Amino acid sequence: MSVAVAAEVTRDYSMSGGVVHALRGVSLAIEPGEYVAIAGPSGSGKSTLLQLLGGIDLPTSGHVEILGTRLDSLGDRALTRLRLLRLGFIFQRFHLLPVLTALENVELPMAEAGVPRDERRERARSLLDYVGLLDRAAHRPVQLSGGEMQRVAIARALANRPALILADEPTGELDAATGAGILALFRRLTADGSTLVVVTHDERLAAEAGRVVHMLDGRVRG
Amino acid sequence: MIAGWGPRSLARHPLRTALSLAGIAVASAMLLDMVMLSGGLERSFADLMLTRGFQIRVTPAGTLPFDAEATIAGAGTLRAALRGDPRIAAAGAVLGASVFARRGDSVVTLFAYGVEPDAQGIYEVETGHDLAPGDTAGLLLSDPAAAVLHAAAGDRVTLAARLDPGTAGAGGERTFTVRGTVRWLYDYRGQRSIGLPLRTLQAMTGRAAEDRVSLLMVKVRNGADPDAVARSFRGRFPRVAANSVTDLVAAFRVRMLYFRQLAGILGTVSLLVTVLLVTTLLTITVNERLGEIVTLRAIGVSRAHVVRQVMAEGLALTLLGAALGTALGLATARYLDTILTSFPGLPAAFSFFVPRPDAIALAAAALLVTGTLAGLYPAWRAAGAPIAATLRAEAT
Repeated sequence: MSVAVAAEVTRDYSMSGGVVHALRGVSLAIEPGEYVAIAGPSGSGKSTLLQLLGGIDLPTSGHVEILGTRLDSLGDRALTRLRLLRLGFIFQRFHLLPVLTALENVELPMAEAGVPRDERRERARSLLDYVGLLDRAAHRPVQLSGGEMQRVAIARALANRPALILADEPTGELDAATGAGILALFRRLTADGSTLVVVTHDERLAAEAGRVVHMLDGRVRG
Repeated sequence: MIAGWGPRSLARHPLRTALSLAGIAVASAMLLDMVMLSGGLERSFADLMLTRGFQIRVTPAGTLPFDAEATIAGAGTLRAALRGDPRIAAAGAVLGASVFARRGDSVVTLFAYGVEPDAQGIYEVETGHDLAPGDTAGLLLSDPAAAVLHAAAGDRVTLAARLDPGTAGAGGERTFTVRGTVRWLYDYRGQRSIGLPLRTLQAMTGRAAEDRVSLLMVKVRNGADPDAVARSFRGRFPRVAANSVTDLVAAFRVRMLYFRQLAGILGTVSLLVTVLLVTTLLTITVNERLGEIVTLRAIGVSRAHVVRQVMAEGLALTLLGAALGTALGLATARYLDTILTSFPGLPAAFSFFVPRPDAIALAAAALLVTGTLAGLYPAWRAAGAPIAATLRAEAT
């Protein structure tokens, strides 16, 4: 069974100047263990497609399935729960909570999922170790570099052992050297069997992917 | 720990949070003062009236004690009737009148209480001793009276009941020996009051023949109902007013209605200010953190969790502000009380602001409820923000 399926999805936005067709009938299937890069110029619809795959937006037509569940059949509570337990998100701007330490940021999704305190703390520490930041566990985001914050965000995305990791321009805010570190981490994630979909402008990141989906004007080009 | 990310966000802008806390503290202080004022007047009045356990006052009909020159004639008959009632434990009469004393070449005006020491509810001995039964030449002084007369226990003081316009001096003088100093329960601050045996003061002021007094104070036995006793006494002696403290408090409540209305209005205003402060601060901080909050929603944090955290932020703000406000409110109440009770004619022992646990609890509960409710709008806004649109806006 595919981890994620987008079937003929369209997404229109009503803007003051009229309707914008962000996606025009996109179909895509993500298989377990795949590393898929979605590439394309700005405005091609790649981030919109990622948001639909992640269940944080719903298509205007067509449908999205995660592990065989159609997202349009779920209410807000069930959809939120699915995002919590089945999906991991990595954002361009990290979006860590600045009042929490790195360790607490990684613990947060597990706390929300009801993982007991000792268990989630232990797992958060092992995830920070996985991304090479165990020695920064007690630091707050403001005390971390951009690359370190993105590593913490990756650890947070892995917290509830997601079936699919979705990353939106994960190296977009990082310099080349720091981006290379994230690239290595993604390589390791793939080697460890994670399923990864990455929206990127970064050719190096796309080159690492097993499959690259090129988008233009809301359509898949190849 | 993690559950506290909402309240912990208050530390991100310390100055802004501190200013908001100061505003909430001031509003809380005002609320506390108004709650204390609205109930404190009655409580203080009742406590004052019951200081020595006398629950009934018998006064000339249509006046308040010492409110005018009105007196009750035939006090002995009334006293005997009262003491003959098995429900009554004690009954004593008091006469109030102005007297004069020489100090060097000037004359000092004093307020004299004619008292029956075996049944009195208007003073407490502080130094020396009380008037003994049968003592017709003893004198009790308030501290201000002792100060102006330069007198202490054992000293002799000459008093007169009237001024002699011909000699610009006092007439009908009598000399007394100071037995002690006392605290007159109903004196205003600085009042120069003295106490004499009732019969002596009546004789000095020409009220002995008709046995006139200003009021009688009555203490009922345990188990007797003061209201019922007062009612029955009104029926037996319609020429006088017999009121229990409950009756007097009810009349006082009517007189002080405007105070309670003022307290209610200002208390409501302070609650509104608190709501506005909390709502404004939370709305601003939520708007600033909308990107973070929708990210939490994106990674699977529930709406309920977001609502709880934002409301906890409001609650934390209100709790801190209320704690500061309680201290501030108690301090300002004490200061205002000092000013208000220094007004002439008000008993110094009277309080406008009475710090009662139930008043503090009521103010705190009102604040916490309104503070929590004030977080509802920003919480709803935070939890309901569209995830995809907000993330798109954040990215551009």
